[in-house]
Amino acid sequence: MKKFPKYTGILLITLLTVLVFTACSSTSAVGNAGDSAQTDAFDEAGITDADNLSSGQESETSAHGAVDFDHDLDSYEPKKDHYNFYFTYKTVHPWWDAVALGMEDAQRQYLDKGITITYEYMAPDAASAEDQTKRLLEAADGDYDVIGVDVADADIISPLLDSMVDSGYKVMTFSSSDAREGCKRIAYVGNTHNYEDGADLTEALCKKLDYKGKVAILVGSVGAPCHEDRARGAKDTIAKYPDMEIVATEYDMDSVDLAYDLTVKILKDNPDLDGIICCNMSNPVGAARAITESNSDAVIVGMDHDQEALKYLKDGIIYCLGVQDCYSIGFDTLQIAVKIADGNTPGDLFEEETNEITTVIYQEDAAQMLELLYGDN
Amino acid sequence: MKRQITRRSFILTAIIGGILLMTMVIINTYISYEQTVTATNEAVSEVSSFYLEAMADRRAKTITNLINSNFEQMEKAVDYINSAKIGSKKELRATIGDLKALLSLNRFALVDNDNIVYTQYTTYTGRSRHPFLSEDKMDERSVSTVSLYGSSKQLCLAAPTPDFTIEGKHYKASFVQIDIRDIVDLLAFDDEGRTYFGLYSKNGENLSDTELGPYISKKNLFDSIKGVVSEETWNENHDNFSNKVEGSITFTADGAEETLCYVPVEGTDWMMVVLIRESVIHDRIRSVSERSLEASNRQILFILVFSVIFFSVLLLMLKALSNKNLEAEKENTRTFRNMANTDSMTGVRNKHAYSDMENYLNRKIREKEINKLAIIVCDINGLKMVNDTKGHVAGDQLIKDASSMICRYFTQGAVYRVGGDEFVVVLQEKGYDTMHEVLTEINSEVEDNIKKGEVVISIGYSELNAEDQLVHDVFERADRMMYERKQQLKAMGAPTRSDA
Repeated sequence: MKKFPKYTGILLITLLTVLVFTACSSTSAVGNAGDSAQTDAFDEAGITDADNLSSGQESETSAHGAVDFDHDLDSYEPKKDHYNFYFTYKTVHPWWDAVALGMEDAQRQYLDKGITITYEYMAPDAASAEDQTKRLLEAADGDYDVIGVDVADADIISPLLDSMVDSGYKVMTFSSSDAREGCKRIAYVGNTHNYEDGADLTEALCKKLDYKGKVAILVGSVGAPCHEDRARGAKDTIAKYPDMEIVATEYDMDSVDLAYDLTVKILKDNPDLDGIICCNMSNPVGAARAITESNSDAVIVGMDHDQEALKYLKDGIIYCLGVQDCYSIGFDTLQIAVKIADGNTPGDLFEEETNEITTVIYQEDAAQMLELLYGDN
Repeated sequence: MKRQITRRSFILTAIIGGILLMTMVIINTYISYEQTVTATNEAVSEVSSFYLEAMADRRAKTITNLINSNFEQMEKAVDYINSAKIGSKKELRATIGDLKALLSLNRFALVDNDNIVYTQYTTYTGRSRHPFLSEDKMDERSVSTVSLYGSSKQLCLAAPTPDFTIEGKHYKASFVQIDIRDIVDLLAFDDEGRTYFGLYSKNGENLSDTELGPYISKKNLFDSIKGVVSEETWNENHDNFSNKVEGSITFTADGAEETLCYVPVEGTDWMMVVLIRESVIHDRIRSVSERSLEASNRQILFILVFSVIFFSVLLLMLKALSNKNLEAEKENTRTFRNMANTDSMTGVRNKHAYSDMENYLNRKIREKEINKLAIIVCDINGLKMVNDTKGHVAGDQLIKDASSMICRYFTQGAVYRVGGDEFVVVLQEKGYDTMHEVLTEINSEVEDNIKKGEVVISIGYSELNAEDQLVHDVFERADRMMYERKQQLKAMGAPTRSDA
């Protein structure tokens, strides 16, 4: 009899802890990766899901919580009054334009404090590890305090980053793709839960399809860690359900046009296709265009929040989207770059992997998200 | 037959005329009121449209001027950079910064042939960020609206920069981006919440994030008005937006009539829309109109009250005047009648009056309605002698004295002078009852007067009896008695005709 209250107390404390972490994860933007106590898969990954929120609160919380435009620099005092950075990312795309806006916000705030930050923010028209290698080598010849890279291909770029660090360059990674594990880059700011993002979107699709049907996976660039991780998450999730089948896996190389062409081909080969899992920003747009033109009822789930993709979500062509907080990624990248430039290393000032949230949004959130992000009313 | 206008018909005519007059004034007032209200409504619509059109046009021109001014400043900036012999990226950034400050250019930037954008602080690949860079070749100026992620929209003005190179690198364009919030600040006016404006895209999307009145607010214009205008109106205005044609829409929402005017902003694909709630103008004009109507109503009420009072006073005056005339007429009649029945010398009734009285009494006797009646016949002694010896003036005075004496005694009877020296007194009721006492007293004085040489009057009397048919019968007896008395008095020394 005496033991019963004790177990009840432990049970209640555990339940309370889970509830507290669940609540925290739905609103925090940065720094949740270290919260190992989280038990929910979404929370562990820094993902929030509109479906997990209570009704009434749902739309506002999911739409407004997905992207945080309200940032202030932390209390760190930079050591210099001028910094010069070089950033390169996978490919020219609106997603990285949103990251750039976060960077510009931080740059303006430093300027208000009397610190001038100049930087280059460059990418090729199409994702290419070779092009990225070339850019990084050129940057090494420049006078930059920190070189940042959104890794196009972890296997090719990671060794280069290691050699640059060995040569004394201060190198960081950012946005959605980190270098491979063990890389000597100083820090990473961005999505650390790409695998989970892919798994969660796929889980939502499976649930929608009642755990049976044929699906296709569209991936972005070959070798791009974020895209590959999401595809892996998707595949592992599908594997859990015996009545689900992957009929095709294609790479659009971050091209909407190619995503469209690939979807048309997949639909032609599989007219009874039930769903498409999209692992980057161009995938869902191309897939939605193709679905709109066809008679297919295939359900699309995908990543990111291109304006066109949000319109498809609003119209019900896309079922759900995983929205990454690119603005915060940009802001935090610049802030951590300043700290790295001053010779700081991960620790109290910043974490080695700065996690940023992903929020899964549905049709009911689309209009608000369009207005919030693009002023589209 | 000629109809005579009576006093009653005159008053009736005046009252009916007055009521008709007032009714006409009231009807006329009502019609004027209705006409004023209609005219006010028409004026409100016209004023609203005119006011809004002018307002929208002025603001659209302000934006056009802003665009033109920015293009001119950009040209100056590019010319300056071109001539500045810039030798490094650092120098270029500094120069761009200086020019931005000097020429008040927002986010001034250059773009090279690889679509790399050069700003004061950053260099970035910009093809996906700036829609005008999606064109391979740029031959002319471009004005586009940029949706800035998570922020307000911006107006992007880009101009080609042919033959512009720095360190051998060719730059194909320069551009500025103006935040629409800054444009809104430029256009804002203090209207105390009565008029609203907004910048809209061709599909009715609100670009300026300004509220277009409480109904449309910041929503898509065409989505908002779908339920409150006809399909035809909606289509017409939607086409106007698409074709950049100005126009206006009036609709009623939430109980208020609202009018909006839109004009295309030259050089852009924007529409400047200005809205006013007609209730604002309407209320103002109505307030002025109502004040005027109130004053007019007061005047009309005053005229009505004044008319009522005036007509009433007029009628009362007319009535008073009529009464006065009537009284005067009666008085005249009375005077004439008195003159006809009064002896001018003595002031007592004359023979004519006696005849009337005689007729009246005869009728009473005939109808047996009278029983107390006595006739006193008085004759002045020695009048002829006085006339002959002392003159007619003395004779007349004797008559007056005799009359006064008779009247003094017979206060309860009617005295008539029926001849030159003869008087008759008619006694009825109380005068009849006291007759003998009075006769005793007067005869006593007469007898005393004989000695004094003063007025001597011979008096005879008679009372009505059952056989009498006429007054004259009574008179006859009294007359005879009077002669008898005359003889008595003569015997006492009273003057007689023969004394003359």
